[in-house]
Amino acid sequence: MYELLANLALGFSIALSPNNMFLCLVGALVGTLIGVLPGIGPLATIAMLLPITFGLPPVGALIMLAGIYYGAQYGGSTTSILINIPGESSSVVTCLDGHQMARQGRAGPALSIAAIGSFFAGCVSTVLVAALGKPLTELALLFGPAEYFSLMVLGLIFAVVLAKGSVLKAIAMVLSGLMMSMVGSDLETGAERMSFGIPELSDGIGFVVVAMGVFGFGEIMRNLEQVSTREIVQAKVTGLMPTLKDLKAAAGAIGRGTILGSILGILPGGGAVIAAFAAYTFEKRISKTPERFGRGAIEGVAAPESANNAAAQTSFIPLLTLGIPPNAVMALMVGAMTIHGIVPGPQVMTKQPELFWGMIASMWLGNLMLVVINLPLVGMWVRLLRVPYRHLFPMIIIFCCIGVYSLNNAAFDASMTAIFGLVGYWLVKHDFEPAPMLLGFVLGPLMEENLRRAMLIARGDATVFVTRPISATLLALATILLVLAVLPMIRARREEVFTE
Amino acid sequence: MSEASPPAGGGSVISGESQNLYGGTTLIVVGLVMLGISFYHPGLAGPFGPIMWPRVLSALIILAGVAVASGQLRVRGPKDFYGGAALIGLAMVAMLASIDLPGMRGFAFGPGTAPRLFAMLLVGASIGISIGGLLFEGPALERYAFRGPIFLTASVLIFAGTIRPLGLVLSSFATIMVSAMATPDLKWRETLLWAVILTAFCSLLFPYGLNLPFQLWPRF
Repeated sequence: MYELLANLALGFSIALSPNNMFLCLVGALVGTLIGVLPGIGPLATIAMLLPITFGLPPVGALIMLAGIYYGAQYGGSTTSILINIPGESSSVVTCLDGHQMARQGRAGPALSIAAIGSFFAGCVSTVLVAALGKPLTELALLFGPAEYFSLMVLGLIFAVVLAKGSVLKAIAMVLSGLMMSMVGSDLETGAERMSFGIPELSDGIGFVVVAMGVFGFGEIMRNLEQVSTREIVQAKVTGLMPTLKDLKAAAGAIGRGTILGSILGILPGGGAVIAAFAAYTFEKRISKTPERFGRGAIEGVAAPESANNAAAQTSFIPLLTLGIPPNAVMALMVGAMTIHGIVPGPQVMTKQPELFWGMIASMWLGNLMLVVINLPLVGMWVRLLRVPYRHLFPMIIIFCCIGVYSLNNAAFDASMTAIFGLVGYWLVKHDFEPAPMLLGFVLGPLMEENLRRAMLIARGDATVFVTRPISATLLALATILLVLAVLPMIRARREEVFTE
Repeated sequence: MSEASPPAGGGSVISGESQNLYGGTTLIVVGLVMLGISFYHPGLAGPFGPIMWPRVLSALIILAGVAVASGQLRVRGPKDFYGGAALIGLAMVAMLASIDLPGMRGFAFGPGTAPRLFAMLLVGASIGISIGGLLFEGPALERYAFRGPIFLTASVLIFAGTIRPLGLVLSSFATIMVSAMATPDLKWRETLLWAVILTAFCSLLFPYGLNLPFQLWPRF
């Protein structure tokens, strides 16, 4: 306990330095600014804004990125509430009640309860990350290649189960992602793989390229088709503060959302999304008046928003302790860390404690910034949303282009992004969910490496994955999940949740 | 879903026989191209080596194409059927691209093992999806918009092509202008003004504000 406090104190001493506080503030502001733009979720936001952190020292850069992350997430819920377009899948449920509240003229309370809920969840999960960091790092020492491989299989299965639509299609998406991640030089032998003789491909396809193409450009192409469906709440946002009654109603929901979110966030594979869904459904089930949900119930905003924030935060745990990105946003974080010369994994905590704890402290700080600074700025965000889309999207395009280009100063990357934009558009047209593909793409190289090592150590004996207890447990879990998802009864339930 | 300024072309949903004809023909063409590539592919031992799988799959795709085009095979869920078929194509490209990589040696994985493994699994899943599209009623194909994707892709490609030779100012101006054409409610004057403002903003922010190494003007 004492050690935990000492560590947190170290973290805060770093995060609270004027310089880092300023970076966190700028990150939160810019993140919200971009995140508010419709159709641009945290993933594209972070990808777009990566270049602005290049010139900073590693700690500062990560603190700023954390700010951007929370800002973008908050921006996503703002669009959900005000224009009924979820910034990302984890704020889909926020639309249901949030937008209804906005239409009843209660956009202010909806936005502030989202911020307050997020902040509370952020506080709790920051402590959780700090407390679980150490023991889990020790657990990481028990993990051999076989366990890592099985854990990643579990993560991918999670992503499959959580994707909407057909399970088989999601599996195909994961496999496509895995396959595409194989492009480039082989890690062990250096052999060129599937690079078609193009020298730029020998380094592999960049993660940002895929993410930006599929989620950024693909999304814009999709949005351009349905310009007319945007309905902005025209009424002025008044009375920002929720009433005491609102707060009372939301308090329980925030608490339950936080707990659910924290637990689900640690699990690999799209934690924030399922957390929001689960919190919403749970809240609806235990409510005495479930019929209010979908008609502007404040619990329906508070619960998923706290849950997705808690999950967003605790999803740092697998990344920082095991070095495995549990979702696409975290994968981008890996990319950002690598640019600054940090290899995520158990060694970060022991070798660079100031970085580890500074980042954890800055998570909390980032959440605080959002409440303090962004709530007064809600009016500005609303005005930004009134800017017609025809002005917004060229801006997004040019920022994305410059962002992708400046990662490696490679024009080739920008053209690849264009291609992946078309891929993303095609996928959506055929009801394929791109998120599992992205996770597969991220985990591909890690999985291959661990699979190869595990097989080598076991002298080609594939049963090693089921004879080692931890690995066997993980795989069993994955199998159970998959079976549950395929069973018709559960499938019907799953559809019900997604269509709600 | 419909566009304000319609590109020339058929009704909102291509239906019935003509769709079967188009879809089937596409499949046949793709299958033939794949088959062609597999024969053109240099240096592989024997017709029953690893090259066999892409050939078998090409033949399958051609067969399915013929069956669909001639109306023998009714596509109940076109979204799934063609989606799965496209993924089979993708997996075949990967198979052909990784075919000459060394595979397992003893119990050690070679560089080609994992790509081929994933490609095979993808083929399996995609065949499943396509068969699902044949067996179960599913949604019809959505109509593709052309204006948006074409102009957006063009604008990004223009950026990629001009950023080095022409510098940030001209390149971003061109990119913004072309991308703005992606929407039907384009207003020329507004767009021109907006493009100038954005270009100025980018040319100040990235090279000066963020110290990124951008060259602003063409170099001769």
